[in-house]
Amino acid sequence: MDLRKVWKLLRGRRAVSAAISNVILTGAVIAVSFVVLTWTQYRSSAYNEEYSEVMNADIARLKERLAFEYVFYNQSESKLLVYLMNCGTINDTTVKTVYVTTDIGEVKEVFSDINLMDFSDVEIADQDLDKGEEGYFVLSSLILNPDSYSVRVVTGRGSTFDHAFVA
Amino acid sequence: MPLSLRKKSRKLKNNSKGFSSVIGTTFMVLVMIFLGTSVFLWTLSQNTLYNEAVRTRNQEETDRLSEGVIALGGNYSVSEDSVTVLAILKNAGSVTAKLTNLWVIDTNQSKYTYEPVNLNLNPGDIEPVSCTVTIPNTHANNTFVSWFVTARGNTVPLERELEEGVVVAEVAQGIGYLAMDFDKFKYFEYASAYGLKDFPTGSGGYNVPAAEHVAFGVKLTNYDPSGRKRSLTLNSHSLIWMYFPTIGKKVVWQIVSVDVNGTVQPTYSPTTLAYQETATVYFASASDGSFSGTNDKVKPGSGGPAAINLLLLGTIGSDEYGQNIPFVSVYCS
Repeated sequence: MDLRKVWKLLRGRRAVSAAISNVILTGAVIAVSFVVLTWTQYRSSAYNEEYSEVMNADIARLKERLAFEYVFYNQSESKLLVYLMNCGTINDTTVKTVYVTTDIGEVKEVFSDINLMDFSDVEIADQDLDKGEEGYFVLSSLILNPDSYSVRVVTGRGSTFDHAFVA
Repeated sequence: MPLSLRKKSRKLKNNSKGFSSVIGTTFMVLVMIFLGTSVFLWTLSQNTLYNEAVRTRNQEETDRLSEGVIALGGNYSVSEDSVTVLAILKNAGSVTAKLTNLWVIDTNQSKYTYEPVNLNLNPGDIEPVSCTVTIPNTHANNTFVSWFVTARGNTVPLERELEEGVVVAEVAQGIGYLAMDFDKFKYFEYASAYGLKDFPTGSGGYNVPAAEHVAFGVKLTNYDPSGRKRSLTLNSHSLIWMYFPTIGKKVVWQIVSVDVNGTVQPTYSPTTLAYQETATVYFASASDGSFSGTNDKVKPGSGGPAAINLLLLGTIGSDEYGQNIPFVSVYCS
């Protein structure tokens, strides 16, 4: 190495500040860039996760299907019995809310405390219907006139299923 | 390379003032491309999954709509609290079908029950089904409605074997509430004073011995077409009468009761046919409501062709009933 050049560099300070500032600026830009990269990656990952959850929920909802085997209104005891079968392609279908509406769509009653029983009158332990499983629930203290009504079942995943009946 | 470009390039290399900006910009562009691409691909893959789910759901819906099971020839028979449902299931659809449950509703009592079926049907399969369910306090005259539930969630209503229009057609041969089965018209000779020979088979009824004492057996079905499904009771005035048109003679056989051994009972007990019930009714006596053996036996007494008419009297439900069923011809020799 040419020692004279090194000596000259050390003695001549006019250009040193420019070099250092360039190095510092470049380093800062790279550091900030990595920070930005990390942040954007974190944000995109969060977005991906959120999008994935929404998409999976939509797909799960698509797979849900409940069939009404029979809906019977017991006039003397003022209760409605709804017999269901999970004929969808997904397990763990829960019944979250049930609406009873008139034939013009006016909400008559809303039930959110649903107790699922199997067809042998035994309470379903996990309170959900797996694929092909059958069960029923009773809506008590429901006073209906002899008229046409509709029962709407809302599942835990947000799907809705409607069935008309005559009280 | 042209001179001006070479100069610019050298100037760019020697002047390091914009270097950080170039690095920063390049980095940012790369970051944008990388992130944009990854998010785009991720979204694309998720959309593909969703589209796949939609496609599967549509296929399921198509299969569900293609399910075409028909339940024909429905018939209900009641014994105490048990209701036996007979039906013929036919898969007229293009996909296989699995039947899970049969629901039976007694509309008179607003009672219902179900019975697991668990039957698989390929396209074109025809399967007879018999299910017995228990409905407390039910009755044969009650109205039943039933349907099968398939695993895809469809319901298959059971169509009655004899709807009202069909009943009218069936009754056309009998003109009235009771229909006679022509194939089962038969006569019996006597094996003893009260015993019928070859009971319950008898002999084909269209060639009757003129000189022998005979009794007739006629198979009747109550098809009450009013829709009220009433029971029909025949009283002792019911009879068969034979008319010889060539000689203007008529002979009468009054209705009698016959036990399971083929013995004609001395006193007639009114015969009751529930709705859609079929029973064989016997005509043997010369007396109304009784049969005293030899003295009450009847024979045609003449040869030649004769017309036979059923003259039936009694009650249907709480109403009076009377019907004359013609059309049978016999030849006496």
